[in-house]
Amino acid sequence: MKRNKKNLRSKPREDRKNSPFEDRKRFCAFSQINSPVIDYKDTKLLSRYISEKGKITPSRITNVSSKKQKELARAIKRARFLSLMSYTEKLF
Amino acid sequence: MSKFETVILFNPDLSNLIIEKEEKNIIDNIESSEGKIISTENWGLRNLSYKISNYKKAFYKFYQVEINGSSIENLKKIMTQNEKILRHLFVRVENHQELPTKMMIDEEK
Repeated sequence: MKRNKKNLRSKPREDRKNSPFEDRKRFCAFSQINSPVIDYKDTKLLSRYISEKGKITPSRITNVSSKKQKELARAIKRARFLSLMSYTEKLF
Repeated sequence: MSKFETVILFNPDLSNLIIEKEEKNIIDNIESSEGKIISTENWGLRNLSYKISNYKKAFYKFYQVEINGSSIENLKKIMTQNEKILRHLFVRVENHQELPTKMMIDEEK
């Protein structure tokens, strides 16, 4: 039995395409080599990570790593304080 | 000495002369507490996302400063007591960014 399982895993990706356990690639948009720097002045970038009501979207939806999510949240809160972003709605 | 970025929002009703005077005051305050101003940027009159004490606009000024962290508390006190300043923010950074900042680049477009 154990051997069978091992074999399943070692199959090439195309063979496993229809499997419900297919491993989709999830990656953090801020942890790559050329990824943008999180900055409270860059409101265009930050506004991609808030909802229509101005809430910060959770990382389980946006796939941002926990380290970068902390940075993001801090940057958004700073931008809100300086009135660059709204607390209650998405402006652009 | 550590590096800080600071953003200050001025009252939109002020004339340019008064704002220059206030800026000079702030710079003097920083320099008297052994700080150094590395560069400044003027973001100009911008719309606020929400009203701050019934103002819809404010003058934004941005500074890159090198100063002792302990003397910032005093600066904050002075700024909060100043009625011409709507809001201020000090952020500590590892390295200063190259200018122009993202804010100016976006505006040019």
